[in-house]
Amino acid sequence: MSALPWLVALWLFAIGFYGMMTSRHYVHLIGCLSVMQSGTYVLLLAAGFRWGAGPPIFSDHPPGTPAVDPVVQALVLTDIVVGAAVTALLLALALQLHKRRGTLDPEELKPMRR
Amino acid sequence: MSSALPPLAAAGPILVAAILLALGHHLPRRSADIVAVLTALAVVGLGVLMATRTGNGALLHWFGGWSPRDGLPIGIAFQADLAGSAMVALVGLLFAASFVFAWGFFEEVGVQFHVLMLVFMAAMCGFCLTRDLFNLFVWFEVMSVAAFALTAYRLEASALEGALNFTVTNSLGSLMMLAGIGLLYARLGRLDMLALGEEAARAAGDPVIPGAFCLLAAALLIKGATVPFHLWLADAHAVAPSPVSMVFSGAMVAMGVFGLARLTWTIFAPVAEVTAALHAVILWLGAAAAVLGGMLCLGQRHVKRMLAFSTVSHTGILLMGVALLSAEGLAGTLAYLVGHGLVKGALFALAGVLMARLGGIDEIGLRGRGREIWPAGLAFAAGGLLLAGLPVGLMEEGTKLLDAAAGSEPYPWVILAVPIGAGLTGAAVLRATGRIFLGWGEVKGEEEHAPSEDEAEKANRPLPLMLAPVVAMLLLAALLPAHLAAEVAQHAATGMMQPGITPASVSGGEVPQHLPLGLLGLGLALLIAGWHLGRSRLPTLLSEGVEAVSAPVFAGLERLHSGLIGDELAWILAGLALLSLGIWFA
Amino acid sequence: MSPRARGILATLAALALAPGALAVLRAMPAFGDHPLPYGDAVNRIAPAERIVSNMVTAVNFDLRGFDTLGEEVMLLAAVVGTVVVLRGSRGEGVGDRPATCGDRPIPPRSEAVVLLCRIIAPLTLLYGLYVVLHAQLTPGGGFQGGAIIGSGLLLVWVGEGYNAWRRLVPGVVLHALEGGGAGLYALMGFGAMLTGAAFLTNVLPLGEWGSILSGGVIPVVNFGVGLAVSGAFGMLFLEFLEETREPKDGEEP
Repeated sequence: MSALPWLVALWLFAIGFYGMMTSRHYVHLIGCLSVMQSGTYVLLLAAGFRWGAGPPIFSDHPPGTPAVDPVVQALVLTDIVVGAAVTALLLALALQLHKRRGTLDPEELKPMRR
Repeated sequence: MSSALPPLAAAGPILVAAILLALGHHLPRRSADIVAVLTALAVVGLGVLMATRTGNGALLHWFGGWSPRDGLPIGIAFQADLAGSAMVALVGLLFAASFVFAWGFFEEVGVQFHVLMLVFMAAMCGFCLTRDLFNLFVWFEVMSVAAFALTAYRLEASALEGALNFTVTNSLGSLMMLAGIGLLYARLGRLDMLALGEEAARAAGDPVIPGAFCLLAAALLIKGATVPFHLWLADAHAVAPSPVSMVFSGAMVAMGVFGLARLTWTIFAPVAEVTAALHAVILWLGAAAAVLGGMLCLGQRHVKRMLAFSTVSHTGILLMGVALLSAEGLAGTLAYLVGHGLVKGALFALAGVLMARLGGIDEIGLRGRGREIWPAGLAFAAGGLLLAGLPVGLMEEGTKLLDAAAGSEPYPWVILAVPIGAGLTGAAVLRATGRIFLGWGEVKGEEEHAPSEDEAEKANRPLPLMLAPVVAMLLLAALLPAHLAAEVAQHAATGMMQPGITPASVSGGEVPQHLPLGLLGLGLALLIAGWHLGRSRLPTLLSEGVEAVSAPVFAGLERLHSGLIGDELAWILAGLALLSLGIWFA
Repeated sequence: MSPRARGILATLAALALAPGALAVLRAMPAFGDHPLPYGDAVNRIAPAERIVSNMVTAVNFDLRGFDTLGEEVMLLAAVVGTVVVLRGSRGEGVGDRPATCGDRPIPPRSEAVVLLCRIIAPLTLLYGLYVVLHAQLTPGGGFQGGAIIGSGLLLVWVGEGYNAWRRLVPGVVLHALEGGGAGLYALMGFGAMLTGAAFLTNVLPLGEWGSILSGGVIPVVNFGVGLAVSGAFGMLFLEFLEETREPKDGEEP
């Protein structure tokens, strides 16, 4: 049981990668990138978890009560912002490309018309 | 030694960028150009100032005053050693040159170009100075995001496709880096790189740490465009506007190599599996990149694409110095990195001159049309000769140091990849010079079948303004006193290999030399360039015989670079597998 | 490469990676039962020395506050990049042009939607502000609250339509929010340096436990982040909504 979160993270990474590699539509590909990103959330949050500990917010319970690692939670927050920022940019690029080429199939889009 | 200087390199340009963005609509014309140039020059000054102060050990700055408690680091630190400070100075210099070169070029997007470029510069400075692994990731990502948008600036289909592939592959790299950080944190519970290094030394034999190295190295090699992680680069660098390509090829790609050296010597040096894999896999990947990049470069006709492949080749050379795992090798890499950055920046600026002045970038299409701008031709030839290995300046010093480092290798001939790569790329640039500026080379070779596209840039700037930064960069790369460069590079390398420790004094003096690698490269370049340009005078039997052999090779290489995102991703996975096999068998 | 060749290459690579991945999986620490020295140190030190109860906020805005500066400029770069890619200056000051895309019809909004949005939008904005301001006490903070404020702005578009939205939320103001927020963050860092302390040192009075003004510099930089994120999300929505409008003659699409 104790390896489950690591397995989930690996699975999300692998399936996201598979989706990206075989994708036939850029918007789908961007979605797959987000799936991979979720793998990193799982990995980081799992790395900071501790059985029987509460949230690292001491407003309901006093400081000193066992709590999970707040550092990874802060890192995941950064990670989420990264994801949102890159997704927005990628979608903007895809939008502009669709206006110019009329398709978003990666197999038909080659820079410099090779 | 504690110092208040290091944060200024990253936070200063950020503050300027934020103010520019907030007041953008109310600023007089051209003020953003002036502010950006001044900021970049200030960063150069800061880099030099920090470098001169590292004599008594690296400059340390704990953000928020959170220095370690009971030996456990709980905050983020910048640690400016000589190598990091020198990188900051190089980055500032390249951006200053790019801002001067791009004077008024990006008028239609107002201050937004300057905001992105300043953020880009700040991120590179932060990347070179930080001592915290997650902070390294943050700057890595800021660097990427700024670069993605700058690539797509032209908004033509090619530019958008290049930018999309660039964004997807490099975001994948960021995710791998983050996964590597997650593995290290789960295992070792630290984020400070020096603390991680100490813990890694204690956890000998744990497979998680080499596993994390694979992911981190793959991310940095994607950024550093090493074979087989490099497929994104040619498209991104070829389609980006030339002022942006200047910093891409000059600094951003080198960041991958520098980051790998930094991680190796702060975290992974005590882990035997990792150093063995570096030696067994990355050294040969570097050599392969040097040679293959050189061949691809020679097979191009789109000048920016040609220069992009030359960057692949030269980054391979840089990587070899890191993988040699010695002070001399690292010193060679650092000297070569600075020299290459300056020369490549100048060459991309010259490509921009072609696009602005002649309205084209295709070597064959521009044949003989460059005569009216002959000063640019002189600079182009000088850049080509320096790339090939003209025995002056920084690149030559770097080559000598690399040669000395390879002398103690079991396979010292691996270093021959350096003159081969340098010679091939130099030949390509010299061939383009001869064809564009002198009208030579009527008979076309393999390059005729390479992809190309006509592309022009706005011609709103006088030629002297565009050439001034080019000349400055080339002169700096060629005329810096050799013994000084060698000594500084060796100090920087020793300091980087012993972080936190005052570097022992290094004997400056002569670097022992085994092979005249520079002259070998130069000879090869002149031979090939002469061959290509003088095809019409060669005996038919000879030229056709060679072409019968070389044409399928070039065509095959070009077919591998299909520009399809699926192929790029598959090769990245293959590269990751190579790294993991290296660790498994080493 | 043909898809087939690509598949073979990827399969071989995956097979080569498998033993390494398995070795790493087997050596990973037991989930939920391994030492967390860094996190424990933060949980011990931050409540006592910074008088804040939300440790994630303490890490984000104080202990590792410098990361957050980078994160904020990354968001800023992404938004400016999106504006550059979508060529955002067009449509500035165009309040009377309807949002159309091709011959797609614009369905009239039902009164129920308008009423609901007029009720929900201000509440959402208020709630966003609440989440921003209570960062150091309860879950939330500048990023989360900024995103809520951004979605409140989007509700204005749903309820009032494109033209009203463009009048209410000018791009210049959004850029000023973005740049101003990031600038405030950097300025707080430099301000601490003026007193001789390190960059981003918490030099303001720390306040009392549980008060909305506790934490010294934390609420200030957190507010800067809130401003920047609201501006950033507003700008993103604005840019993508601009795409529903036909370009005028001479505009770059």
